[in-house]
Amino acid sequence: MVRFILNGTEVGSTALANERLLDVLRNEFRLSGVKCGCKEGECGACAVILDGRLANSCMVALGSIEGSNVLTIEGYRTTERFAVLNKAYAIVSAVQCGFCIPGMILASECILARNPNPSEAEIQTGISGNLCRCTGYKAIVAAIDTAAKEGQGLW
Amino acid sequence: MVNNYQPRSLQEALNILANESAIPYSGGTDLMKKPDENATYLFLNKIQEMKNIVEDMNYIRIGALCTFTDIIESKMTPSMLKEAASFVAAPAIRNFGTVGGNICNGSPKADCALIFFVTDSKLRLVSKRGERVVPIAEFYLGRNHTILQKDELLVEILMNKTGLDNYYFKKVGARKALTMSRVSFAAILNVKDGKITQCMTAFGAVGDVILRRKEIDEMLIGRTILEAKAVRENYLAAYKQAIHPVQGRVSAEYKKAVCMNLLDDFLDSKGI
Amino acid sequence: METISKSIKKKDHDSKVSGRALYVDDYVMDGMLYGRLLRSSKAKARISNIIIPELPDGYLVVDNHDIPGENCVQIILADMPVFAEETVEFVGDPILMVVGPDFKEVERILQRIVVLYEELIPIFDMCKSEMVFFNYNYAKGDFDKALEEADHVFEETFRTGHQEHAYIETQGIIAYPNCGRMVISGSMQCPYYVHTAVTKALGYDAKDVQIIQETTGGGFGGKEDFPSILACQTAAAALKADRPVKVIFERREDIAFTSKRHPSVCTYKVAVKDGMITGMGIDVILNGGAYTTLSPVVLQRAMICSSGVYKIDNLQVAGRSVKTNTIPNGAFRGFGSPQTIFAIEMMMDHVAGKLGIESLEFREKHMVKKGDATATSGKYYFHVPLPEMIQRIDELTDYRAKRKLYQQQEGRYRKGIGLALFLHGCGFTGSAEGELIKPVVRIRKTTNDKVEILTGNTDMGQGLKTTFSKIVAETLDISNEQVLIENPDTARVPDSGPTVASRSIMTVGAMLQRAAGKLKQIWQTGEEQIIEENYVAPEFMIPFALQEFRGDAYPTYSWAVNAIEVEIDTLTAESKILGAWGIYDVGVPIDLNIIQGQMQGGFLQGIGYASIEQIDYNAQGIIRNNNFSDYIIPTAMDVPNLVTKIINNPYSHGPYGAKGAGELPMVGAAPAYVEAMENALGVCLNKAPFTMADTMWVLQEVLNNG
Repeated sequence: MVRFILNGTEVGSTALANERLLDVLRNEFRLSGVKCGCKEGECGACAVILDGRLANSCMVALGSIEGSNVLTIEGYRTTERFAVLNKAYAIVSAVQCGFCIPGMILASECILARNPNPSEAEIQTGISGNLCRCTGYKAIVAAIDTAAKEGQGLW
Repeated sequence: MVNNYQPRSLQEALNILANESAIPYSGGTDLMKKPDENATYLFLNKIQEMKNIVEDMNYIRIGALCTFTDIIESKMTPSMLKEAASFVAAPAIRNFGTVGGNICNGSPKADCALIFFVTDSKLRLVSKRGERVVPIAEFYLGRNHTILQKDELLVEILMNKTGLDNYYFKKVGARKALTMSRVSFAAILNVKDGKITQCMTAFGAVGDVILRRKEIDEMLIGRTILEAKAVRENYLAAYKQAIHPVQGRVSAEYKKAVCMNLLDDFLDSKGI
Repeated sequence: METISKSIKKKDHDSKVSGRALYVDDYVMDGMLYGRLLRSSKAKARISNIIIPELPDGYLVVDNHDIPGENCVQIILADMPVFAEETVEFVGDPILMVVGPDFKEVERILQRIVVLYEELIPIFDMCKSEMVFFNYNYAKGDFDKALEEADHVFEETFRTGHQEHAYIETQGIIAYPNCGRMVISGSMQCPYYVHTAVTKALGYDAKDVQIIQETTGGGFGGKEDFPSILACQTAAAALKADRPVKVIFERREDIAFTSKRHPSVCTYKVAVKDGMITGMGIDVILNGGAYTTLSPVVLQRAMICSSGVYKIDNLQVAGRSVKTNTIPNGAFRGFGSPQTIFAIEMMMDHVAGKLGIESLEFREKHMVKKGDATATSGKYYFHVPLPEMIQRIDELTDYRAKRKLYQQQEGRYRKGIGLALFLHGCGFTGSAEGELIKPVVRIRKTTNDKVEILTGNTDMGQGLKTTFSKIVAETLDISNEQVLIENPDTARVPDSGPTVASRSIMTVGAMLQRAAGKLKQIWQTGEEQIIEENYVAPEFMIPFALQEFRGDAYPTYSWAVNAIEVEIDTLTAESKILGAWGIYDVGVPIDLNIIQGQMQGGFLQGIGYASIEQIDYNAQGIIRNNNFSDYIIPTAMDVPNLVTKIINNPYSHGPYGAKGAGELPMVGAAPAYVEAMENALGVCLNKAPFTMADTMWVLQEVLNNG
């Protein structure tokens, strides 16, 4: 049994130690907001926040997260910070097909948590591991920039 | 729980390795591309004592479990290493990939391994039987093949403290993020009292192992810049002979051309 | 800005941003089984034997013997089998499916199946293939005469490669039998295409097949025809197992084994007299891959726009789509036009260079205007805004000045700027709307005065739920919240045609506008009312005769200009994109943010096509770069300076002035990029993608050797 904290709650998983965290989250905990895009750590669709840092959950083995803190979009969407990002993404219609978006939102959170006033270049670097095929990234970068400005004090 | 270990100390990890065949897992960012159903994993990522960066009289000692992000954020790591770490993949990979994994995978494309190589860093390998400190140049036997024994762990990298400021580093990739090296080059040149005291160069992604030719670099050591300029052509010719890129995702001709261009530019930048 | 263009919050924003939106892989059904396909490892072979190990309880194998109807996937023709019979035609040709309750066990069984092949000789080189799928020719004027009378004749060949859609959500289908019906749900663009294919494969009546589109994570044409294939296979499995079956492609599988953009080889022969082009002869070869799929229509579009935005009175165009033993290629945003627009733009640029005339100036002299004839002797009925778009882009980028400046450069870094002028025919090619598709839409007012839109068109990210709703809401003068729209389910919605060809807003949106207009007239509060609307061809169109390629291929065109500025590091051959600018005419945007998002996304996808995206086939016909490490698409750091502007040029026959938008932004990026590389390198180039390795070759071979 690997015990960890999932979206604020202590949980345990009996899946194999070498199981991908992505699969554990989706199959065992039914968190369908964590998406699978490639299973190689190359697209960021599966991104979660692990011990406070952005992680590709497909590249994390269950056995490595004993006692760790895992935050998925399901946990994050109840926060005030999410509300600011949500609004900012909505204003520029940054969500197209939506498949990259849960990972992208968590990447946005990680950028702002580290630096509440990022430059455009810092934002682009911060989401450089999240592939999007629909938007050309421009609206997403604008959304994160807006969230930084609107969310003064939250980050 | 089948076949996995989560040691909380280095000692515990070494005890396990002494008795079992287990695959060390540090960050998972390479291993998890092809997880083995039947393997036993030794999860090292909770071992705090392997994540420290300390400075002693002679070295900066970097724990093998330091992630690329740790390297970038640390006040103690040299700029050259930070720069190489900052070009690895993307944030999520940098947050969990480790320098230990980067070295032990044995890939000639490894970004931080290149920096350790060019600075003649040493590796402290530890097992229950004891420990050994080996120069990184002796660590690699071939592509994805190192001298690390089954019961051994890479615990620390020992980097020289001084002389790392005047560096040249270039990673050539096909896009601006999430990219492997097509070719990478790192170099250090230090001049004291008009003479070249250090010349260290290395190439990544051009052969089975990171390419470092001390004997070629030695052609410039001890010389003044002017003297070095006089042997520039010999230096380049020696390297041209030594570089035999393996055809990979780009052609060998491309790689060789880039290597020679970068070497040229490095010498130019130093007035040689 | 028109009122309707004012951006609103997208209808599907909340469900997607919160992670609540469900895509096909997010559904789990009771008793659901998982399927994986076993595919040919040979490019061309006869199957001599298949050895299947003993299967555990609950696991089964599904193959061509389990197709109750016809073992073929109805796309345009029906030459592709659902499961291979005697021969396999490409590496990846599906042979059978293993189905069972545990995904890992299914994989293990798959690994243990042995297929014995009798290898035959495959053809990989499209230029050497003699198997012609489709062959068309058309002409106008007298090209031979133009050749005779010419001062100069220039000839050149251009090549473009495969492109992978790389939608972030891979292909996926769930099929389940339900009381004698077969229900398919999945990631798709065209539920009714899937319906046609599955009905035929199962031999069912139309009413017994139900197709439901789930929230779809990107399509770009990759989910236009391909899902029909997977749906037939999964339906056969569900039928045999009498249980729900889910098949979700792994990324490697998706890159290696699903349809791609047709590679092309285009040869242009240009006659010039007194500094003007008097005639053009164009030869287009498209690599169709192993089966026909959508090749005929891709070829038609490629040929129709092969003379680009230019007035060429003496024109001869020949085209063929050939078979090779490689992945069957299919729809991809642009659908043939990125290939020939690349060629024509590069050719115009090269001819100008040879004549010593500045490239843009030369092209401007030949641009079409309103009233001119099209390549197929139709007409440009509406204003062609190229001159003002060129001026705008020159102001934004300083193109003309930079182009001159960059011709003389020294030093490590070389800059270059390139420009492309292009168009995209809006809607389905030719007379298909009225003759084949015959789209129907319905709107249904509920008893509590909500209005539901019922069409077969799908939102795959391009915002169709929002834009369709806006059209209906605006017409009925009700709030957007009062308009309802669900993912299409063939049991509930009519066939309004596929979501392709940049037709959804212009054609289906117009029908919805008319329907809503009618509803407004007869609106009864508290009553359920249903309005159905059919297609009406614009009255000004000259019907398109496919045999002769004559008439109006499209009712109207969308126009654009792209400029791309690069900086090449001559030491490493890396190129940095300093800026990418696009000016677009798509008629009135139904929603400005949505249109901007389409332009930006399409432009970047086109830049990928031009520079870093390539499919790497080995000598055995296997795609080597079948993962996201090696098939690389642009990240957020690759084109940080991307600028898109929309001009105002309403289309009188589109809903609220809108016309086709989805594909246009993809079409012109490649010539703009490659021309920029030419400007930086000082040589003529003729291929896309033009990669780092290509750049180094030019630097070493061409420039170093004088």
